Parts: sequence; structure tokens; C-alpha cells
Amino acid sequence: MATITKETVPSQSTVKEKIHGMLGVNRQDAKLSLVLISIAFIAFLLGGILGLVQGLNRAGLFELPSWLNYYQVLTGHGVLLVLVFSTTFTIGYFYAAFSHTLGGLLPKVRKMGWAGLGLMVIGVVFVATTIIMGDASVMYTFYPPMQASPWFYVGLVFLVLGIWLYAFGAFINVAHWRKNHRGEHLPLLAYFGVGVFVLLFIGSFGVTAEVLYIIPWAFGWIDTINVMLTRTLFWSFGHTLVNIWYLAAVSSWYVAIPKLIGGKVFNDSLARLVVILSVVLNITGGFHHQIIDPGINEGIKFMHVFMSLSIGFPSMMTAFAMFATFERTGRKKGAKGLLGWVKVLPWGDVRFLAPMIAMISFIPAGAGGIAQTNNQLDQVVHNTMWIVGHFHLTLGVSVVVSFCGIVYWLVPHLSKRVLTPKMNKLGVIQTLIWTLGMIFMAGSMHIVGLAGSPRRTSYTTYGDNATALGWDPYLFFLAIGGTLLIIGCVLMFYIVFHLMFKAPKGETAFPIAEQEEGAHATPYWTERWTVWIILMLAIVAMAYVIPLVDMIFNAPPGSPPFRTW
Amino acid sequence: MKQAIYGLILYVFLILPPVASLAESVMTIHMHMQMPLLVVVGFLFTPFLKQTFPNFFVQWNAKGVPGILLFMVITVYWMLPRAMDEALNIRAIETFKFISLPFFAGVPLRDSWSKMNRLWKSITFIFLTLTYGMIGILYILTPIQLCNNYLMLEQKTLGWSSLVTALCFLAYLILNVTIDKSKYE
Ligand code: HEM
Ligand SMILES: [Cu+2]
Repeated sequence: MATITKETVPSQSTVKEKIHGMLGVNRQDAKLSLVLISIAFIAFLLGGILGLVQGLNRAGLFELPSWLNYYQVLTGHGVLLVLVFSTTFTIGYFYAAFSHTLGGLLPKVRKMGWAGLGLMVIGVVFVATTIIMGDASVMYTFYPPMQASPWFYVGLVFLVLGIWLYAFGAFINVAHWRKNHRGEHLPLLAYFGVGVFVLLFIGSFGVTAEVLYIIPWAFGWIDTINVMLTRTLFWSFGHTLVNIWYLAAVSSWYVAIPKLIGGKVFNDSLARLVVILSVVLNITGGFHHQIIDPGINEGIKFMHVFMSLSIGFPSMMTAFAMFATFERTGRKKGAKGLLGWVKVLPWGDVRFLAPMIAMISFIPAGAGGIAQTNNQLDQVVHNTMWIVGHFHLTLGVSVVVSFCGIVYWLVPHLSKRVLTPKMNKLGVIQTLIWTLGMIFMAGSMHIVGLAGSPRRTSYTTYGDNATALGWDPYLFFLAIGGTLLIIGCVLMFYIVFHLMFKAPKGETAFPIAEQEEGAHATPYWTERWTVWIILMLAIVAMAYVIPLVDMIFNAPPGSPPFRTW
Repeated sequence: MKQAIYGLILYVFLILPPVASLAESVMTIHMHMQMPLLVVVGFLFTPFLKQTFPNFFVQWNAKGVPGILLFMVITVYWMLPRAMDEALNIRAIETFKFISLPFFAGVPLRDSWSKMNRLWKSITFIFLTLTYGMIGILYILTPIQLCNNYLMLEQKTLGWSSLVTALCFLAYLILNVTIDKSKYE
């Protein structure tokens, strides 16, 4: 099977791909993905534990020991979950997807994958060490003028380089496939993968520039820094990263779920259009994280409301497509009445239940996001716990639970094992505990945020101020949610490694739904990535040049570094 | 016909005085948003106009070259700082902007594009890359204010965004030259 990835003439390679598809996974490719997924879930467990520590502290139930600082814990939680967990899982998943749908990774690409992993591990070691030593309690956003140890930023450079290697690997593999399949459409899942790696690569330009600007400042070679500029560059990446996970989750909704419930892809062209729109419109959304920032004038902020809302559009298309798929499949199975199809869906199958919950949670989560992106409404919730509630819904449920849903078939597929009914049941329990935990936690975060409780603030009663005391009941619920979540976290950790090493041997298929019969042919312009990338760059230019030039040429005096912890 | 209606809606929207004055209040948006959108209006009108006046397009723009030359002249004209200034100060010039960009730039560009051979398409791309690049460098480096209506910093901003636009064109050109499409399609 190792020969499959050798350069082959087109006709031969398709035959080989078919054989490959039947025989299951390429061992060497699987190993890479499994290692990435393992790292992801180790980070998940550690990050979850830190999350519990925070939750208990904020509820006033747990005082941190003197050698541990709340902001250090918060930095660890953010970095582990946002940077390490989400990114390594996304990459592992899409590399498995490329391996499966493109007939194996090229040996060269697999090598790049391991090298990328090496770079990322080096990066994480730098970052983690500085955080543990207490020299980098700057939160995962590392906003200047807070200044961490310079080695923290050096670690970030390694992380970015690792990500770039993975992106190049993906592009090389896809180009190779297209050479051997002239005129064909890239398989849908791989198409999502291209979108994700284009975003990862181009979206990281801004943060790379930022880090390269911070490093001389952190080493003391330059005295001051332009704070607005760094924040803007950060969010051009930060926001993109959010949509990268989202696209990863959505890809499984479009491609895997219909197969698992016995349906077909709703509409291939629509799915591809969602990818294109998400890629082209994405990066400029970064400004909605800076609605309250001074130094950006109202005109620009006004323009960006539209930029930001436009990203809601592909999400609506997705919601429509998903529910249409469910209804069609349900009706095919003989469901009657307006909502009869809801009942025939396989609710007891965790591979369906988890992503379904993820989708449903995206309804309130998305609505919250649309509210927040409006300047006046954001004034009320900015930097309060509301925001934390918002992203524990979007990221902590929609994305995380989708990823967990992927685990139940991807990990057994890669490790040549099967999901037993017992594991399935445990999975259902895990999903329900996690969901309940998040309802408690994110729910109370939303409410207490509206009541004014700030985010990123360790426990304090502000000298027994009445308002601050009024937050306590909600913060208590937050802690209850956190406790449920840590149970879910440990269960998930167990499930992942059980499926990897202990579950009974067997073959698990990679679920890829087929197109509806007689579906319209997908137009070929969807494959014109050069056009989409240039269009995306042009939109980025349109959105960023005016504010960036203003920030640079009208800059106030720069800021010296601060160490706030 | 549908396209023409969308075009008309966009056209009217852009002409609305509050929209026009908002767009013109920022130099970069004036040149890089309002003007291109007016060209897009022309794109949207083209199929309708071709249907209504088929002979005209065949007679005057058989191979697409006259059309593209007209497009180039109009674009270069609107890149002159002086032209932007006058559009703000003189009603007639403003009117000319709203007519010339859709009808003398947008319409001929779309009509010509499908008629032109590879050479002329490349010439158009190179022309756009060069003009944007030059105008970008000019605006960035000029030490004096070129427009009466816009401050130095706005001018610099426009310079940078023109330069970035030129780079986008350049990237597209390079990708098109280096990627052999026949290998993939
Ligand atoms: C065991 C489950 C979890 C618990 C108990 C938990 C708890 C918390 C709490 C209490 C905060 C707010 C701290 C503050 O602003 O003062 C927080 C912040 C945060 N959490 Fe979680 N969380 C959990 C899981 C997750 C997951 C799964 C993710 C993402 C994948 C996540 C991402 C974040 C992020 C990005 C922040 C913001 C960090 C910052 O402000 O710098 N959390 N978490
Ligand atoms: Cu965002």
C-alpha cells in the first residue's frame, strides 16, 4: 500500500485509489493524524483542568496558591485550547481527509507533516515554558503593551512556521491530485481542506508581521511599540482562526453526517460556495474584535459592521442545507407530517447526536454574535463575561462537540478499530454531560456579563460592592457548569485513547456522502482558486489599508513595555 | 434583463446624494470603491445594451480593441488627482464621472473582454498593473498635497491601496503565467 502514493499515470492512479479506498487507511498517513489528534486531546484535558481552576476561583470557591497566578492559568487555558487543541485537531483531521480522498499523502508531504509537527512542538515548548515560569501571563492574545519574555514570541514564530509547512504540504498534495485528475472536481472534503489551509496560510501573515515587530521590542532593541497596530494585526489572524475551526466543523456536517444518517449531500455547489465565501470574506471580520478600540474612526467601524455581518451569510446557507438534508432523509425513511422527520433521525448514535447538538447550539451562538457585532450593543457587553459565554458556545460547543463527533469515526478508522455500542453509549453520555455543563456555564456567563461582571478578572468583590455581590449566584452556577464540564473532558480523553488503543480491531469506513442522483453538475469556476485568492487579497486590502496607514502615520507616541502581573 | 435591473439599483444607490458624498469624503473610497462600482454598473448593463443595440457593438467594437482603448483612456483620466478634485467642485465633471465610468469604461470592458485575444487581455492586465503601481508610488512619494480636497495622509493612503491593488494584479499575472492550466483542467 505504500506504493500507492508514488507518482503514477492518471488511469492507474484512479484504479489504485479505488483499491486503496476499499482496503482502508494508509498506515503511515494514519500515524501522523493520530499523533496530531493525541496532542490535541492532551491539550484539551490540561486546558479543561485549568478552566475548572478558573471557574472555581471566580465563584470564590477556590483560592489559588501563592505560586500560581490567575492570569497565568488563564493564559495556559487560552493557549492550550485555542492555539494547540483546535489547530492540531484541524490539521490532523484534514490530513486524514486528504489521505483518504486524494489517494494517500505523497511521501514528500508526509515528511513535511512530521517536520511541521516538530516545529510546532518546539514552539509549544517555548510558549509553555515561559508561561509556567510566570514570564508570559499575557493571555493568548498577548496584547502589547503587556510584554512577555521574548522567548514566548519566538515560540509563536515556530508555531506559525509549522502551520505554514502543513499548508504547503496540503497545496502540493492537492496540486498533484489535480494533475492526475485533469478537469475533475476536487472531492468536497478536500475542497474544504483547501479553504482551511488557504485561510491558515494567508490569515497568519498579519500575526507574523506583529510577532516580528514585537520581538525586537521584547528583547529591548526598540523602546516602544504601536499598540493599535499590533492589536489590529493580531485580530486579522485571531478572527480567521475562528472561522478555520468553524469550516472544519462544517465540513463534517456537509460530508460525513448525511452518510451517517443514510442521506446524500444536499447540494455540492452550495457547499463549495460556502467555502469560497467563508474564505473570501473572512479576514476582514477581524475588526469586530476592536469595536471599542480607540484610534479607529467611526466610518471605518461602520463599514466593518457590514464586513462582519456578511460572514453570517454562508452560515445561514449552511443552516438551510443541513435542515434540508435531515428533512429529505427523514422523509425518505417514511416520516410523515410537518416534523415527523425529526423523530426518525438516529438520536442514539453519537456520531449524529454530537454534531446535531453542535449545530443547534450555533443558533443562539450565532444570534449572540450578530448582536455583538453592532457597536451600540457591544458597548454593553464588551470585555464582560458575556463574551466568554459567547465563545464557550461557539467554540466550546459548536466546534468542540463537532470535533468530538468526528473522533467517533475518524479515530477508529485511523487505528483500524471499531466503535462498540458500549462506547457509543458512553459517547452519548459524554455529549449530554458536556452540553449540560456548557448550558450552565455559558448561560450564567451571558447573564452575569450583562450584569457587568468583567472577563479576565480573578475573584474580587470590589470591597463588597453590592453590584459585585449580586454576581455571586451566577458565578456559582458557572462553577457547577465547570464541574460537569471537567467530567465530560475526562470522559472524552478516555474515549479518544480507548478508540485509539483499546477498542476491538476492525474496519471503520471514512463516511463520505454521495451526491443526490440527477444533481446539477457543479460549475467549474468553483475550482478557480487563483481568482478566489486574489479576490480575497483585494478585499483584505480594501479593509485594511485605510486604517493601517492611519494607525502608522498618525500614531501617538509608542508605549514602553508593562508587566502587569 | 435581470442583470440590468440589478445594475440600475446599484447605479441609483451610488448616485443618491448622501451615499455619493459619504463615498467621496474619503479619498481611497472615492477612487477604489465608488469608481470601480460604477464600472461594475456598466458590466451589469452590458448584456441589455447589446441586446438592444446589437449592430452598434458589432460595427464599432468588432475585435474589442476600440472598446478596450476607450476603457484605458477613461481609467487613466480618472486617476489624475486633478480629475478627482474637479469632480468634487464642478457639477458637470461630477455628472461626467457618473456617466463615463459605467458607459465608457464598464460597458466597453465587458463587451471587449470576450472578443479580445490573449495578447490584448495580457496588455490590459499589464496596463492596469502598471498604472496602479505608478499612481501608487507617485502618491506615496509626492511631498506635496496633490488634491485641494484631500489631505496628505489621505493621499498616502490612496497610494498604498493603489500599490496593493497593483500587487494583486501582479500576483494574478504571475500565477497565471507560472501555472500551466492545461495540466489541471
Ligand atoms: C472544562 C471546561 C471549561 C471550563 C470550566 C472553562 C472555563 C473558563 C472560564 C471560567 C473562563 C473565563 C476566565 C475569565 O475571563 O476570567 C474561560 C476563558 C476561556 N476559555 Fe474556557 N472553559 C472550558 C473549556 C473551554 C474550551 C473547550 C475552550 C475552547 C476550545 C475554551 C476557551 C476559552 C478561551 C479562549 C477563554 C478566554 C481566555 C482569555 O480571556 O484569555 N474553554 N474558560
Ligand atoms: Cu471574530
